[in-house]
Amino acid sequence: MPRKLERKPRIAVVVTAVFFVWLYLPIVAVVLFSFNDKKSLSSFSGFSLMWYDDLVHNGALLDSLMASVKIATIATLVSLVLGTMLALGLDRVRSRKTQVTLGAVTLLPLVTPEIVTGVAALLLFTGIGLKLSMTTVILAEITFSIAYVTVIVRGRLLGVAHEVEEAARDLGCTHFQALRLVLLPTLAPALVGAGLLVFALVFDDFVLAFFTTGVDPQPLPVRVYSSIRFGVSPAINAIGTLMLLASALLIVTALLLPRLFGRGSSSLDLITTGEPL
Amino acid sequence: MAVSAQPRSAQRTSLWGWLLAVPSGWMAAFFVSSIVIVVLLSFGRTTNDGFPAFATSTANYRALWNEVYLELFVRSFLYALAAVVISVLIAYPVAYTIARHGGRYKNALVAAIVVPFFASYLIRMYAWKALLSDDGAVNSGLRSSGLSDGVTFLNTPWAVIGGLVYGYVVFMILPIYASLERLDLSLIEAGKDLYHGPVRTFFSVTVPATRPALFGGVLLVFLPAFGDFVTAQLLGGASTYMIGNLVQQQFMEGQNWPLGSAMTVALMVALAVLMVVYLRATSTQARES
Amino acid sequence: MSNTSSTTPSVSLRGLTKVFGGSTVVDGLDLDIASGEFFALLGPSGCGKTTTLRMIAGFSDPTSGTILVGGEDVTSTPPHRRDVNTVFQSYALFEHLDVRGNVGFGLRRKGIDKRTRDKRVSEMLDLVELGDRGKERPSRLSGGQRQRVALARALINEPKVLLLDEPLAALDLKLRHAMQAELKAIQREVGITFLFVTHDQDEALSMSDRVAIMNQGVIEQCGTPEDVYERPTSVFAAGFIGTSNLMSGTWSQGCVRLSPTVAVPAPGHQGSAEGDAVSVAVRPEKIWLSDLTSAMFRVPGTIVSTVYHGATTQYLVSITPDLTLTVLEQNLPRMRAEDRWNAGDRVEIGWLPEHTVVLT
Repeated sequence: MPRKLERKPRIAVVVTAVFFVWLYLPIVAVVLFSFNDKKSLSSFSGFSLMWYDDLVHNGALLDSLMASVKIATIATLVSLVLGTMLALGLDRVRSRKTQVTLGAVTLLPLVTPEIVTGVAALLLFTGIGLKLSMTTVILAEITFSIAYVTVIVRGRLLGVAHEVEEAARDLGCTHFQALRLVLLPTLAPALVGAGLLVFALVFDDFVLAFFTTGVDPQPLPVRVYSSIRFGVSPAINAIGTLMLLASALLIVTALLLPRLFGRGSSSLDLITTGEPL
Repeated sequence: MAVSAQPRSAQRTSLWGWLLAVPSGWMAAFFVSSIVIVVLLSFGRTTNDGFPAFATSTANYRALWNEVYLELFVRSFLYALAAVVISVLIAYPVAYTIARHGGRYKNALVAAIVVPFFASYLIRMYAWKALLSDDGAVNSGLRSSGLSDGVTFLNTPWAVIGGLVYGYVVFMILPIYASLERLDLSLIEAGKDLYHGPVRTFFSVTVPATRPALFGGVLLVFLPAFGDFVTAQLLGGASTYMIGNLVQQQFMEGQNWPLGSAMTVALMVALAVLMVVYLRATSTQARES
Repeated sequence: MSNTSSTTPSVSLRGLTKVFGGSTVVDGLDLDIASGEFFALLGPSGCGKTTTLRMIAGFSDPTSGTILVGGEDVTSTPPHRRDVNTVFQSYALFEHLDVRGNVGFGLRRKGIDKRTRDKRVSEMLDLVELGDRGKERPSRLSGGQRQRVALARALINEPKVLLLDEPLAALDLKLRHAMQAELKAIQREVGITFLFVTHDQDEALSMSDRVAIMNQGVIEQCGTPEDVYERPTSVFAAGFIGTSNLMSGTWSQGCVRLSPTVAVPAPGHQGSAEGDAVSVAVRPEKIWLSDLTSAMFRVPGTIVSTVYHGATTQYLVSITPDLTLTVLEQNLPRMRAEDRWNAGDRVEIGWLPEHTVVLT
């Protein structure tokens, strides 16, 4: 009997191993073929940096890269501010009704398929006569990102008792000083983590950008998409590798950051301890 | 009796009120109003010059009520459903392995799953397209090892479903992992003793214990999968079109915005209905248990 | 600043009331806490003690009534301007500052210069015996250490009164006993009025100079621990503090008649008329099972059960079919098991009249 019971875990382990291979297969392929010395995508013949060289000289691609960085930076900063305000407000508002309704509305962008938010954004901007451009992309991305910030900051807020703010006021702070000198510094790890996460998400975001972008410059994912649609080029591998690397770095930093400050739970713990569902 | 210039509770409300007002204003202005416009335009029409205009016509909705479009809805539903089922089948073993056998590396393993999912969906889909294409690495591998003459992976329903799973399975793994992690795993061991078999243990012990996480994960995978279009476009073709593809067409190539709006509204309504039905069904289940 | 002599109470509450969503949580409290007192607000959960504390601190607005601290009306003063500091139940330490940063926070807000601040922070840390932990982050400290940081952080500001909200609730039993002694010693050394809130009557009795028992928003009794323990003035107080044998009967001819056969004399009791319904409370440790004297009220009974507690033994003695009393005896006179009584034994129990507490 005991031996039979041991078999089940092994199936699970096998599935897990296969899963990880499957998960990383395309990533490995992209990275590998970005160093390929031939155009082929089916066999690796030799090591070369030619595709990266191509990249550096590809003006349009570099423009898109800059655009994506700009968009992600602005969107991150604004959504951090708005998301934190929302998290704090929701945490402290008196009326239960307001809290629940507003909380639900904030979460809506997270559960709405991006195509819906993309279409909606497109219609809104066209409806009010705003020409599609980097600005419209930024506006749309901010709207979408606020939800992430709010969820993360609220999660951290739950661990910080209201009493910390009261303690600050007890010791001589006005409401505003308590916020500035105690609450925000305590929230700092969550804010940084949320910021990095949002940056990575916005930088990589395709659907929303696709619907709200102007003609030039296009955010990087949109330009990559166009290239993919009209033929598969190995140069994509190079830019893809870089994008993957950048995102990976951002996310890993975001996950590890609070732990580096020795403050206990990190954003990873936040994610793994369940979402507010 | 105490006398004060302004009761402190009023001061408190005004501070927090202002704090909420600005972001709420933003959300109202950009999100809520945008959805409203979609709904409004769904009743619109296209002018003779080809521009979308508001109107009060139900023509778009009537146009939707035909075989082709309905088939698309059903197909999207089935693909999303398949994606959910496969995700569950993957998520439990993976989550269980990490929770039970992960030890010191638990967090690293979870991070190893999470990081790719936040790193460029587009690039990874493109990679699959390249790998699975007729002259891609997989096929050339199959040919050179003599296993087969080449299999058409792309442009099939399974390619799309596989892509959907690939894109969203993490949202099933994370909640289930979180739930399993908190669970006292000796419960499962005890269950194995009681139920004399891994499969029965799974259904009688593990699933009920992680039910909320499972339900959450189902929603988190189904909703985006239903409205996806990138996967279908890159990995599939005309025969695997999902609603998302059709909507995108109306706005980009077809230039029929009112119809596209109607489709979007139909999509939102479909999702809302499915969610309500799902929540009802799962809450009665929870009550009965 | 008013001329506060040592006779001005540190805290005065006048008709303090708080109504919350339709229910009166604190109902017209009147209380004076003397300067330098170690005062306890004791009561079960929901009695209003924490709400009272929060109103004194300034985090909750009273519905009506006045709060005076050091003779000054602070009812409408915001917390950051009150000469009051709080030690919170969760300690509420600032995780982004080290211990020295936490302790010196209040002084910094007051604008005190760095040199003075550093000096006083060091003094405070020595007082709470955390001198070598100054540079550490709160997350690295144990529960007891965090509590001491919270204490130091509050005390350093030399408030007129220090409020403590269930300060020892989060500590384990051994640590709690040790901290009780420490808190008392610190309070004596700094001489500041301590007002602490607790539901643990053991804590209240052992630490405080005076105790106020609260129940459903009102103060049932206020006095020294001995007053409250030996002379409870209400059924609630008698039951809440320690254990009591509570029996109801009728006042008749200077006695409380519990049954046709049992009437307990209560010579000191006044204010009840013949036939009034009254209650009698007698503490188990006051009841004798042997060496009874003629001064005692005596009544025969039967041992129903015995429970051995190491240092003491608890007996249940039935004196009538409806009345069973708990008797607690130290085992010293009867160290050997065979000397102690067993179930079924017929005994005579008795207690001195001064230990009979009559409650109306």
